[in-house]
Amino acid sequence: MKCAETIEMETTAAPTTSRVRMPMGILGFEQIKDYVLVANPDEEPFVWLRVEDNTTLAFVVIDPFVILPDYKPDIPPADVEFLGLKDADDALLLGIVTIQGNNRATVNLKGPIIINRHTHTGKQVIITNAPKYSVQHPLPVADNVA
Amino acid sequence: MLILSRKLGESIVIDGHIHVKVMRVDGDVVKIGIEAPATVPVHRQEVYEEIQRSNQQALTKQSSPLPKLAGAARQLAKPAPKTNLSKP
Repeated sequence: MKCAETIEMETTAAPTTSRVRMPMGILGFEQIKDYVLVANPDEEPFVWLRVEDNTTLAFVVIDPFVILPDYKPDIPPADVEFLGLKDADDALLLGIVTIQGNNRATVNLKGPIIINRHTHTGKQVIITNAPKYSVQHPLPVADNVA
Repeated sequence: MLILSRKLGESIVIDGHIHVKVMRVDGDVVKIGIEAPATVPVHRQEVYEEIQRSNQQALTKQSSPLPKLAGAARQLAKPAPKTNLSKP
């Protein structure tokens, strides 16, 4: 493996992938620990968090700050320690999206997935200030497919 | 299930390092103080279950169509925020 290879989830032509290890799984899916983050420029700001062993099962995730620029999640110290985060910049935050139908989609802001950008270890974290946010924060979905 | 009776201000010690104290009783509301090491996650059960349910609903197939976002979110999405992951 080459070192210092950087994955860019920005506007590059081809989809970029990055493996993510979630030792505690995702709540309700504790047994699934290995995921692949797949970012396709055509699909931004959405990113896929795909189950590694399964080619089809996946979560849709999004940078929550795109939806709510003043989102201020308080991350419990235990999780900061677990993920080995030394600095806010070490953390990649992703909100799990639920597609509720053609014109409705929501993002979970109470339990974001936090990934250490350097170690690729991730965890779904229940933020300390969860009561301030919704598990079904609506996304501004366009009325019809353009 | 172990059931213990506690008076206001009394505590329970779990495993020598987790302290649970009855802080206040007001009708059917009990305020509980929990002192635990930072490595012990403590959550309200309903929040935990709400997130679990939301996750189960969110799991999908990678081929499923994605919604188109309207207005500001689409604009903001353009200069993608810092989402780099450097490989270890």
